[in-house]
Amino acid sequence: MKAAVVLRQVPDVVEDLVIAGDGRSLSEEDVMYITNELDEHALEQALLLKARHSGTVTAIGLGGDAARDALATSVAKGADEAVFVPVDFAARGDNVVLSSHLASALREGGYDVILAGVHAADQLDAGLGGLLAARLGVPYVGGLTGVQLDAGGRTAVVHKEYPGGRLGVLEVDLPAVLGIQSAEQPPRYVPVSKVLQAKRALQVKEVRGPLPQVAGVTVRKLLKPESATHAKMLQGDEDAVATQIVALVKERGLL
Amino acid sequence: MSPTGIVVVAEQEKGEPTDVTLEMLACGRELADRAGGPLTCLLLTDRGAPFRALPLAADRLVIVEDPALGAFNPEVHARVLAHQLKAMAPALVLLGNTAAGMDLAGPLSLLLGGTAVSGCVRVALEGGVIVATSRLYGGKLLAEVSVPAPALVLLMPGSYPRQKGMRDRVPKVEVQGGAGLAGPLRVRSCGILEPKAEDVDLRKVPVLVGAGRGVQTKDNLRIVEDLARALGGAVCATRPVVDQGWLPRSRQVGRSGLTVKPRLYLALGISGAPEHVEGMKEADLVVAVNTDAGAPIFDVAQYGATVDILDLVPILTEKLKAAKGGK
Amino acid sequence: MLAETKTMEIDGEKGVDATKAFLGRLLLLPGGERIAECIQCGMCSGSCPVGYAMDINPRKMIAKLRAGRVDDLYRSNSIWLCVSCYNCTYRCPNNIPITDRLIASLREELLAGGVGVPPELQAAFEKTARYGNPFGESPKKRDAWTKEAGVDVPVLEAGESADVLWWVGCFGSYNKRNRKDTIALARLLDVLGVDFGILGTDEWCSGDLRCTSQGEEGLFDALYRHNTAQLGKRKYKELLVGDPHAFNALSKEYRRLGTPLKVKHYTQFLAERASEVRKLMKQPMKAKVTYHDACCLGRRNGEYDAPRTVLETIPGIRLVEMPRNRENALCCGGGGGANWLDSFIWERTRMPLPIQRVQEAAKTGADVLAVSCPLEIPRFEDAIKTSGLEGRLRVREVSDMAAEAMGLSGVRVA
Repeated sequence: MKAAVVLRQVPDVVEDLVIAGDGRSLSEEDVMYITNELDEHALEQALLLKARHSGTVTAIGLGGDAARDALATSVAKGADEAVFVPVDFAARGDNVVLSSHLASALREGGYDVILAGVHAADQLDAGLGGLLAARLGVPYVGGLTGVQLDAGGRTAVVHKEYPGGRLGVLEVDLPAVLGIQSAEQPPRYVPVSKVLQAKRALQVKEVRGPLPQVAGVTVRKLLKPESATHAKMLQGDEDAVATQIVALVKERGLL
Repeated sequence: MSPTGIVVVAEQEKGEPTDVTLEMLACGRELADRAGGPLTCLLLTDRGAPFRALPLAADRLVIVEDPALGAFNPEVHARVLAHQLKAMAPALVLLGNTAAGMDLAGPLSLLLGGTAVSGCVRVALEGGVIVATSRLYGGKLLAEVSVPAPALVLLMPGSYPRQKGMRDRVPKVEVQGGAGLAGPLRVRSCGILEPKAEDVDLRKVPVLVGAGRGVQTKDNLRIVEDLARALGGAVCATRPVVDQGWLPRSRQVGRSGLTVKPRLYLALGISGAPEHVEGMKEADLVVAVNTDAGAPIFDVAQYGATVDILDLVPILTEKLKAAKGGK
Repeated sequence: MLAETKTMEIDGEKGVDATKAFLGRLLLLPGGERIAECIQCGMCSGSCPVGYAMDINPRKMIAKLRAGRVDDLYRSNSIWLCVSCYNCTYRCPNNIPITDRLIASLREELLAGGVGVPPELQAAFEKTARYGNPFGESPKKRDAWTKEAGVDVPVLEAGESADVLWWVGCFGSYNKRNRKDTIALARLLDVLGVDFGILGTDEWCSGDLRCTSQGEEGLFDALYRHNTAQLGKRKYKELLVGDPHAFNALSKEYRRLGTPLKVKHYTQFLAERASEVRKLMKQPMKAKVTYHDACCLGRRNGEYDAPRTVLETIPGIRLVEMPRNRENALCCGGGGGANWLDSFIWERTRMPLPIQRVQEAAKTGADVLAVSCPLEIPRFEDAIKTSGLEGRLRVREVSDMAAEAMGLSGVRVA
């Protein structure tokens, strides 16, 4: 089994997100990067598949220098190969550009299965996985909480999550791209000493080359929603409050 | 806009359009009226009959009927939709930002030569340009995006009023066969697994009712459980409540319990200690009720009230049941 | 838990007996060699507050090692029940460093193997590694509390100096329940005219994690290197800490790693100035107070008097002692990472430690349970609620009490 995992670096929301002067992007110097959480799940799922079916896992880190650290952590966790794809700040959240750029790099790889998080906090356009699959001409199923490969490594049986805890079971011919919602177990912990060791010994293949010029989404404005630093207090007695809560629940489509 | 204007790709469950479908129709209706173009609802299903007489707020309802279109299959649906949408050539396609929609957006956008935008809470037309507002970073930021046609916009559930997805007349209905279904399938649907009744993984429940010390006694949990049922959710608790043995450890939310990100977290009698907040602060909507107006939970909640929860809860349960009954 | 570990591969050599390998590593640690002197007296197990719940208590752990059965230890839950209270080490007649070497090493092995480690603890490590604090709060906001202090709290940049460098700590900086106590200490230092400063956002977690035996040696080293580099850039005569865990890390562990530091806990600092402090007292505090000896200040570092001295400067206070006081104090159960493992531990033990302790405090007839460690505030506050003692017993930090008696409490604009 030859698996590839795409790990994107996304802005860490623990830090305040600062909008740049142009009002349309984030201020680059204020951004602290973290690996997209669902991509961590994708890596975990890949490592689980490797343990079950033997084979190799290639970790592909997209972004700036933070991506190299993510690759060291991935190798410390058990990935066999590390590939760094440098991406300019402006394009880091553009899945149309990223999928096009990655497709050329991945086509040569001969991967049976490519895993990516089904969603990223900074994504505006369609998910990376679906776009990547379409460019590679392979099938895509996303929102997965379980992946099993058959003995021959030709098909995958996946569990696709629907609301209310229902799971769709689908069979997918490989090669395919799979969008992971959550790995079958939480992303494993790797001690800091192991990561530092991996960093020292890290051998990274770099994918150089210009980013493709593809038209994507144009951001006109970035804004902060009305921040609720304090709750809006509902007035009245129990009856009035209950009525207001029911309205809120309906408004959110939760009834 | 081109003649066919706007298409809503409907989702259905057990013979009914889903809520997000009605919300998309509400959105599409608003835009279509402004642009002066038609709104088409496109439905893929194995049984079209239940939908023919629905007063959906579309001008035209195209039903593609075929046994293979029962369960969702991203490859099948993408093929059929691409076939239909290429013929319709709309300027805007609305999809639900759902398990199905998110599988389709990427492949469809490439098949149609269009651009997809996800996580949208609003769609507008400004000078003939489609402008979508999308949520980023879990709602911390909003992006206003202009999208060239053909645009595929994934709409977040709860963004538009469902009731505006229906109106006073039934649209023109067209039923077609499943053209585009021919050819080998690389993705095959093998059925649905329903969740087991006993296993409650709090992390997968969209509505959580959090019980804190304000619940006061184990017996009072009964009314909290009724409320959770009425909301289609589950009861979780802070550590003091679990320590008392009123609920099992699997229901604990917080630093040494579970971290949850439900769509609604109703915090009852919870003070909002950091240890608990750590486990639930990323809920989409937090409504907190605590008689202490200074409780820190009100810094985390979007809405709050200081009424007595023991009085509020039974009334709230009744009102919710009544509201659901009218559906 | 780790399944087959009867033999391991060490440095490329296969088939090494796992127990021998473990012992080999243990013997390299300072004091680790004393494990050979165990006389199996059972003092450790007998004095362990959760010993009854361990399938393999400390004495048995050593017996198992002697029998070549380290595998059993890897499979045991006992390792994660340890709250790092230091009773075993304190009472061992041969001074075997059970807490900091045996338990710590076992945890290190399990962490490296990635098997059976409670996820809440892993999350705390990951957050500390990334953000410099176990809460996952932004490192840029570490000194945000100073805005509410009501007095000037200078942040020392590189190259600057002060007589006293105050190490605030993670809980003191970020935790809302400790906020007023941190502010109280700031105001105490101010009214005493102390020339002090803090590191601000350059301060990272002291790494208490490792010193109280959690097993993340790599993380501790990274924190140690950062913190000592930052300390090295400032000039100061004394290092003051509010948190006994940081006190222990900075004075004991940093010394072991090569950076000796002169550290004082704030109660020691104030006790040295007791007469000055007494003169500044403005209003009596009529309360019966019992003091809880923090493990990291008391048993680990022998400081029992300073906090009592400070409390005695407050007019109107009557100090009473709990039966288990000083070196016999019952741990609050939050040490050694246990603060994040309560669910795990309480599922396996009978009566949670903080509940036992507040009940013991209430029995003395005290109105106030005084503490000198920030972890104890949330732990005892919750325990008081759970035990139904709300209204009868309050838990308060010594700094908060002293500040109030000096008329320094309340909202202030600097």
